[in-house]
Amino acid sequence: MNLLEIKGLTIQYAMRANTIHAVNNVDLTIAPGQTLGLVGETGAGKTTTARGILRLIQTPPGKIVSGEVFFEGRDLLKMSGAEMRAIRGKSISMIFQNPMSALNPILTIGEQIAEVIHLHEKCSKKEAAERSRNMLKMVGIRPERAGEYPHQFSGGMKQRVVIAIALACSPKLLIADEPTTALDVTIQAQVLDMMRALKNKLNTSMLLITHDLGVVAETCDAVAIMYAGEIVEYGSLERVFHNPKHPYTLGLFGSIPSLDKVVERLSPIRGLMPEPSALPKGCKFKERCDYSCDDCEKEEQVLREIELNHTVRCMRAEGGGF
Amino acid sequence: MLRHLVKEKKESNPRTPEDISVKKALWQDVLARFLKNKSGIVGFSIVVIMILLIIFAPVITRFDYDAQSFPDRLLYPSALHPFGTDNFGRDLFTRMLYGGRISFMIAFIATLISAAIGTVFGSVAGYFGGVIDMIISRFLDILMAIPSLLLAIAISAALGSGPINTALALSIGGIAISARIIRATVMAIKTNEYIEAAKATGSRNLRIIRKHILPNTFAPLLVNATMSIGGSIMGIAGLSFIGLGVKPPTPEWGSILNVGREFIRDFWPMTVFPALFIMLTIFGFNLFGDALRDALDPRLKD
Repeated sequence: MNLLEIKGLTIQYAMRANTIHAVNNVDLTIAPGQTLGLVGETGAGKTTTARGILRLIQTPPGKIVSGEVFFEGRDLLKMSGAEMRAIRGKSISMIFQNPMSALNPILTIGEQIAEVIHLHEKCSKKEAAERSRNMLKMVGIRPERAGEYPHQFSGGMKQRVVIAIALACSPKLLIADEPTTALDVTIQAQVLDMMRALKNKLNTSMLLITHDLGVVAETCDAVAIMYAGEIVEYGSLERVFHNPKHPYTLGLFGSIPSLDKVVERLSPIRGLMPEPSALPKGCKFKERCDYSCDDCEKEEQVLREIELNHTVRCMRAEGGGF
Repeated sequence: MLRHLVKEKKESNPRTPEDISVKKALWQDVLARFLKNKSGIVGFSIVVIMILLIIFAPVITRFDYDAQSFPDRLLYPSALHPFGTDNFGRDLFTRMLYGGRISFMIAFIATLISAAIGTVFGSVAGYFGGVIDMIISRFLDILMAIPSLLLAIAISAALGSGPINTALALSIGGIAISARIIRATVMAIKTNEYIEAAKATGSRNLRIIRKHILPNTFAPLLVNATMSIGGSIMGIAGLSFIGLGVKPPTPEWGSILNVGREFIRDFWPMTVFPALFIMLTIFGFNLFGDALRDALDPRLKD
């Protein structure tokens, strides 16, 4: 059985004048122990999808319009507030993008780790404090520093603390929303290595949100490419990376500098993502696509399975040729 | 007040010695910044001297505040009566000191009540927003539309005079102000990522407010409370001046001033000294509050 199964998740933000279609009919699955990379440019709906899973969408203006999110066979969207709180931080936890602001400045880091443990595990304050020290050790911070405040730590250290909080109750699923974007490259590598090691140790599944395909290649088992609130290409890491089919995925790969090819300039994807409040009919990528034709906007594009474990939302992908 | 807070924190969470030293360092930071502010020290000194004077009133003066002596009435300041005597021959200095007791006590109680109720309303309105915020905010608007002294007059006229009623009358006007400050602070804090992170760990709303938001509102609340004590002392004096607050023979700065008004042409001490005490006290609290704000503001950290 899959650990997480998202079916037709649709999330919209109702603004005064228009409705923002942030996430449209997204299907994703994560198997136990698997890492799924969710890739896309800013505003593609990655974070909204992640928040939707934990039901952390600010309502209003946000609203989960339709869909089902099965976690261990139970639909999270149908749970009561209390049931949902019991899952947050315990079975599913989340790492936020910016470690600088994800920690409360007036509580010591030890207190903040202990709080999650105290909330979800029936244990004394003393035991929670002890376990929070162990968590610190696990993420490579000296346990003696538990009594210090967030401002006494560097960015990379803070992200380690955030990871310690997220993993404190050994969650089954870890949602990491661009965990390394705010960090510099050397620290990024350290944090990613550590996350991968801990994930394997605790056998945690992970949904990794990023716009760095390099990070995905190193970390993930499967990858979903998101564009304008839709999954445009979805499959196992090897299939998608070795045989990218959607023009958008091709464009993403084209805009990465390659070590073995000599090129004058990188080829960026021209244009901008369509306004999420006024999405075009048919293929959302048509305006920026080099291969677009009139048929593209005639019908809604669906995800087509072009090979095992590899689906693409493009009518031309199936034939295998552009 | 600060010391009390730190102590409470220690007791609720057993910590290792080094934890405590960090917490201490935090307040030492605030203290160091406060000590750099000269006007703050002046204000703080005024407040402390006033409080010491009224606490040790029985030691400082050997007169009773209600011991009348007809031959000694309306005496000008002398070695025996440093501020002179009033129209019943009572020592004015003694009456000033005992009068301060009433003023300070009522002001503290009024500020405490308004801060407590204001915190509840403000944090609920700020945190939940939407309809709840609308209802509470409009209610506060109504409260604010009424001039505070007028409101206090109306309430104490309805409740009658006496220290507790005066404290209540003054606190109701203050609720709106402290609630607004808390609401604005809570709204600002609520947008921080750590609040969302707390939600993502499965914390309940009440727990988030109590544990993550309210401690962060402590600084503005403390500054506002300091300032509003000064305002309350003014309010008490005002109410007593028009005969609504504390009734004679209980000494109170405002009521002494009111009686002194009759003799203002011939006998200055009975108006000058109470007015001076009221002014100095409020001045002290305002300077102190200003300096506290600067010291507690982490953005001014150097």
